[in-house]
This record gives sequence, C-alpha cells and structure tokens, in this order.
Amino acid sequence: MDIATFQAYGYFFLTAFMVLVLYGYIWHLYTAKKKYGKDYEEYADIALHDDITDKPVEKISDEEKK
Amino acid sequence: MFHWLEKRPFFFAVGVFIAIAFAGLVEIVPNFYKASQPVVGTTPYSTLELAGRHVYIKNSCNACHSQLIRPFKAETDRYGHYSLSGEYAYDRPFLWGSKRTGPDLMRVGNYRTTDWHENHMKDPAGVVPGSIMPKYTWMYTNLADIDTAYAEQITIKNVFAVPYNKPIPMKDGSTSVVKLADTLDGAHASALEEAKLVTADMKDQAIKDMVEAGNIPEIVAIIAYMNSLK
Amino acid sequence: MENRPLEYDYSVAKMFMLSTVVLGIVGMLVGVILAWQLAFPGANLFLGEALGEYTNFSRLRPLHTDAVIFGFTLSGVFATWYYVGQRVLKVSMAESKLLMFLGKLHFWLYLVGVAAVVVSLVLGITTSKEYAEFEWPIDIAIVIVWVIWGLSIFGLIGIRRERSLYISIWYYIATFLGIAMLYLFNNMEVPTYFASGGIGAWYHSVSMYAGTNDALVQWWYGHNAVAFGFTVPIVAMIYYFLPKESGQAVYSYKLSLLSFWGLMFVYLWAGGHHLLFSTVPDWMQTMGSVFSIVLILPSWGSAINMLLTMKGEWQQVASSPLIKFMVLASTFYMFSTLEGPIQAIKSVNALAHFTDWIVGHVHDGVLGWVGFMIMAALFHMAPRVFKREIYSKSMMNSQFWIQTLGVILYFTSMWIAGITQGMMWRAHDEFGNLAYSFIDTVSVLHPYFTIRAVGGTLYLVGFLMFAWNMYKTMTAGRRVEESELQNATPMAA
Repeated sequence: MDIATFQAYGYFFLTAFMVLVLYGYIWHLYTAKKKYGKDYEEYADIALHDDITDKPVEKISDEEKK
Repeated sequence: MFHWLEKRPFFFAVGVFIAIAFAGLVEIVPNFYKASQPVVGTTPYSTLELAGRHVYIKNSCNACHSQLIRPFKAETDRYGHYSLSGEYAYDRPFLWGSKRTGPDLMRVGNYRTTDWHENHMKDPAGVVPGSIMPKYTWMYTNLADIDTAYAEQITIKNVFAVPYNKPIPMKDGSTSVVKLADTLDGAHASALEEAKLVTADMKDQAIKDMVEAGNIPEIVAIIAYMNSLK
Repeated sequence: MENRPLEYDYSVAKMFMLSTVVLGIVGMLVGVILAWQLAFPGANLFLGEALGEYTNFSRLRPLHTDAVIFGFTLSGVFATWYYVGQRVLKVSMAESKLLMFLGKLHFWLYLVGVAAVVVSLVLGITTSKEYAEFEWPIDIAIVIVWVIWGLSIFGLIGIRRERSLYISIWYYIATFLGIAMLYLFNNMEVPTYFASGGIGAWYHSVSMYAGTNDALVQWWYGHNAVAFGFTVPIVAMIYYFLPKESGQAVYSYKLSLLSFWGLMFVYLWAGGHHLLFSTVPDWMQTMGSVFSIVLILPSWGSAINMLLTMKGEWQQVASSPLIKFMVLASTFYMFSTLEGPIQAIKSVNALAHFTDWIVGHVHDGVLGWVGFMIMAALFHMAPRVFKREIYSKSMMNSQFWIQTLGVILYFTSMWIAGITQGMMWRAHDEFGNLAYSFIDTVSVLHPYFTIRAVGGTLYLVGFLMFAWNMYKTMTAGRRVEESELQNATPMAA
C-alpha cells in the first residue's frame, strides 16, 4: 500500500468516524433532558450568575463526595 | 460518555487536540515522505545568489511580489511558463507571497537585465512612470552578508543533502556543478568573482569601486539573485 | 462597600488591558502609514531619506500584521481570559500565589517578546513566513510565554468551584492548543550559526521544509493562525460578554457546543484555499475549497446564536453603544465568514487571489469583528476592574459611527480595487494579447487606495477615542458599587 492509498483510507475512515461522533453528540445533547433529566441550557447561567458570591450551577465539591 | 468529557478538562483537551490535529496528520505529514524532487535544470543557489535572497527577505520584497505563476493564459503570457513544484526544491523558505502589489518575479531573470535593476532599485518611478514602489537606496551602501549565506549553504548541504559540488543534470543533457568553497575565505573569494560579473554590466562607478576593493554591496547580491530567477 | 469575603483579582487583566490599548494604537498606526504609502509613495520617506530603510512599506508591513495579531489581539485575548476565566470558574486568582506569579510573569515575558519582535522586524531580521516572521530566539521566547499561559489556564481550571466548563473556556482551551501545535510545526528551523560551526549571524535560521512543502505548512499555519487567533478566542469573548451585558442567557447552549466541535474539525482543512492553482497536490486544493464552504455552518451557528440571544431585547441595541459594538461584531463575523468561502471557490479565487479583495476580506473580519469585539469586551470590563463608571457614553456612540464608516470605506474600496485589478490582469485584446501592462493595473487603483487610507484613518481616530475614554474611565469616572455592576455597564452621559 503506497502512501497515497494510505492517505485516502485514513482520510475516509477518520472522517466517517468524526462525523459519527459529531452526530452522536447532537443526539446526546437533544435527548439528554428526557433521558437523564439534564438540561444543557442551565449552563448558560454560568455566565449570568458569575459573581464570586453566587452559587455555582454545579458545585465541584458535591460531586467529589459521591 | 459526552457528559463525562465535558467535566474533565484534560480529556476534553485531548479530544480537541485530536480534532484539530487530524487534518494536519492526513494532509501534511504523508507528503514529507515524498520530499520535493528538483526538476531537471534546477540548481541550488550560489553564495552570492543566496546572499541576495537574504536581502530580498530582509526587505520583505515578498510582501508585494509573488513568485508563483498560475496556469492561466493571462499569467503565462505575462510572466512565462507556469510554476512547477520541483523548481522550488531548494527554496527554504518558499517565497510565493500572497499579494501582487507589484508583478510576479518567478522568472524575472528572463526579461530584466542587470542594468535595468540597477536603475530601477534607485528610482522605480523613474524607470516605470507611475510606479508606487519605494526607492531602495540603502542597498547601494549596505554590504551583503556573505558569512551568513555561506553558513546557510553549509547547513543545507549537511542537514538536507543539497547537492553542492555535485553534477546536476541540465535541460540540454549536460551537467553543471554549483561550487561550494571549503573555507569562509574561499566563499568570499568566489562571491567576489561572481560579483565582478554582475558589476561588469553596471554603470555606477561607486559600486564598481566597492567591489574592486573587495566589498559587495547588497544591490549586487540582489541583482545576482534576480538574474538567477528563470 | 459591602462586606465581601473574597474578590476576583484583576491585576493581571489590567496589565493586559493596557497592552491591548497601547499595541492596538501601534499596530493600527503602522497600518494607516502603510495605507498612505500605497496611495502616495512619497510617504515611504516620511522620516526623511536617511531613515528610508526603516520606514518604507516593505519593512513596516510585517510589523503591522504582527502588531495587530500578536500585540493587539493576543493582549485582548489574555486580558479577557484573566477576567472571564476567574468569573465563570468562580475562583479568584488571589486564592493562589502561584497562579498570581505565573500571571504576572506571563505579562512581563510577553512584553519582552513584543519588544524583541518590534526591534528585529524594523532591522529586517525575518524568516519571511507570514505571521511567523520571528527568528529562532524569539520563537523560543514565544513558546515559553505560551506554556506559561497554558499553566495559568489549567491551573485556574484545577482549583475551580464550578464543575462544568462554560463554553467560553472551551474556546480558550482550543486557542491555546491550536496555536501551540501550529506554531511549533511551522517554525521548525535549523539555526545556521550552530550547524555551520559558528559562521555568520547568530540569529539566522533556515526552514526545515523546502518549496512546496514549506508553503503547505505555512498556509496550514497561516490560515489557522486566523482561526485560532481571530476566530476562536473572539467567539469565546462574545459568548461571555454579550449574554452578560444584555442579561439574556445564550439563545441555545446546545448550538454553541455543536458549533464548537464543528469548527474544531473543519477549520484545519481549509488552509489549502490559500494555495489554489499553486503546485501543491490537486486533491488538497479541492479539499481546502470544499471545507472552506462547509465552514460556513459552524461559523454561522455561532453568529446566529449570538444574534438570537438578543431576541426580544433588540431595544438594547438602540440604547446601549456597548451592545451595538457586539451586535455589529457578530454581523461582521457572519459577513466575513460568508465572504471567505466565496473567495475559496476555485473560479472566484482565480480572480481574487493576489489582489486587494483578499486584503479587504481580512480587514472586514479584523476591523469589524475582532476589533469591535475586543473594544466592547474592554468597555464591559473597565467599570468592573476599576470600579468606576464609563467616562462618556456619547463618545462611545460617536466612536461607533466613525469606526463603522471607516470599515465600510475600507472594504468597499478594496472590493472594487481587487476585482478591477483582477479583471485587468486577465483582459485580452482582439488579437489575444494582454490588454494592459502591469503598471496600468496599479495606476488605476490610486483612488481606491486613497479611500482605503481615509477609512483606515477614521478607524484609528475611533480607536484613539476609545483609548482616551478608557483612560478617563480609569482616572476620572464616578466610583460605583458592586451592586451597579450586575448586567448593563454603567455609563455617564
């Protein structure tokens, strides 16, 4: 297999893989609310409530206790 | 899986890196196995020509002049045969440029003479009325850096196996050798010899005198470089 | 003052805000000088015949591009990082002595690097590769500065209180990684002094790549320096500053994540469009063309997301000059991310390449999108950082209109200039000979070069107004309390 063929295969399969991952991600984003009760739009609040005295949207220490 | 990634900056960064490195990996890396092969007739630069190329770079001539003739009739009519990949085999760095404020210079050696450059660099608008190119008067007094050019020649010969002192096939079937001196003094001597060939066609007596005295001004080096662009 | 146990520490952000303004003035001033030199070549000797070597167009041109990219824009990116980073991670730099030290070291080393770049470019010490002109000693310094910034990013992330990373942080991380990879690969070079055993200039180096390969790596870098310097970090800014200033949540957080991955994957392929009809392999040229067009999707994903964030709140555009800046910035982003792909279509590129149309495209992106967004970010930050009100709202308004006019004059004149020259280069007479000599195609551009210089000058005037307004805000603005700094930025009439 010469380098050009290798390049072509590499290109094709990696692109196909990346496309699958990207579409999988879209699927995940838009079904997450139903499946896990997780709403991505909540994260937008990170910017709006960003004072040092504001409560974090997801506190880091809570998760670590799990 | 995705949600897990979003909270782990390290793995996230790895993901980003894969996504952005992917194009380079597929597009660029394989081509380095096929290093540029010179076309027949392409020779490495001599010491004086390389010093001239450094003058070209020092003054960012490539900001306004391209060295890439595209395969269109309008371009081949104006500048000559379209560019071939192998013609650039000894160009480190490449000087294609990205803007043609002035004309392309890929083959300027075919249609401009030493005499023309000598007048033009001093006063571009005097030679081409309406030209917006600045005057490059300091090239007539600054000295060309032969030392650095020689250092670069040694470097590319040793590191990248550029064929100095080796027979190189020419278009007419003969071979030609680009000599590289063994010592720095030898390099100066051969550059001076070349410089005298250039000044033979020049009119400015001050330049001729400088070269006679063993000093090579930038203008002589850059003209040697321009004349080599064919 | 309220009693607050902990405050965000903006001392590093302040330093970078200062360098943004100063280097912005330098970069734009050099740009304006260049524009006048093209219109009136006599201006090449504006400091006299003796200094002609250092003031002519070709010597100054790399200084302009680098001062704007690595001076103005990068300073803006760093300034906003040291502001936004703390806030969305909800952690103060005052909490870590190490991060504070790294931040300050970052700034001072960066300044040393900038000074070295200015001196070396004026002296003509350059590798000639666009936006990578620096010789190896400066390259090493730049790598060190970059690594320190990386430590600073990941250090701050390491001590964060907010579990999830806000979308802006994603874009900052991508900026860091993207530039690191591109810069390293494009600047592979061999120092000739050491390789030849001590001959010649110590700073000189020769590229590891030759000819076509060198061009390929350079434009893979060059195009993506635009991607990761002018697009990704600026998107990071607008995703934070527009919602915060308007008090509106991002229209769709999901769309922002999608556009992010789309952009990451597609952008790197598009570099080939700088090399259409050159000697690089044909399939790469086609790939560059195709991916450039696909790139419209993630770019517009972000831009539309921004415009829709203003949904129901459009009256703010009329009332707040700061929102005006950001809405115009995202509009220019949409505009130039449509123009770019059009220019990447092979038949269009055949006409546009090497002409002023490309210069126009770069500038509607940089003046309209990057410049406006960075100024808006600094306007938003200033009251929070200095605890003072913006000095003059009316001055902001007039600055906005002066600069908008400047940008419009700039890109319209460059469109006409580029297309005119491109058409004249290819024109043939009835016998099949070239209709125009090269100088004909230059002389015809004079009026457009003049209009462009006027447009650029207007933009610079606006930027000086911005600098003055910032200075007065810092020294003479009315003092404000934290409670006034929630969303809309306080401004004095």
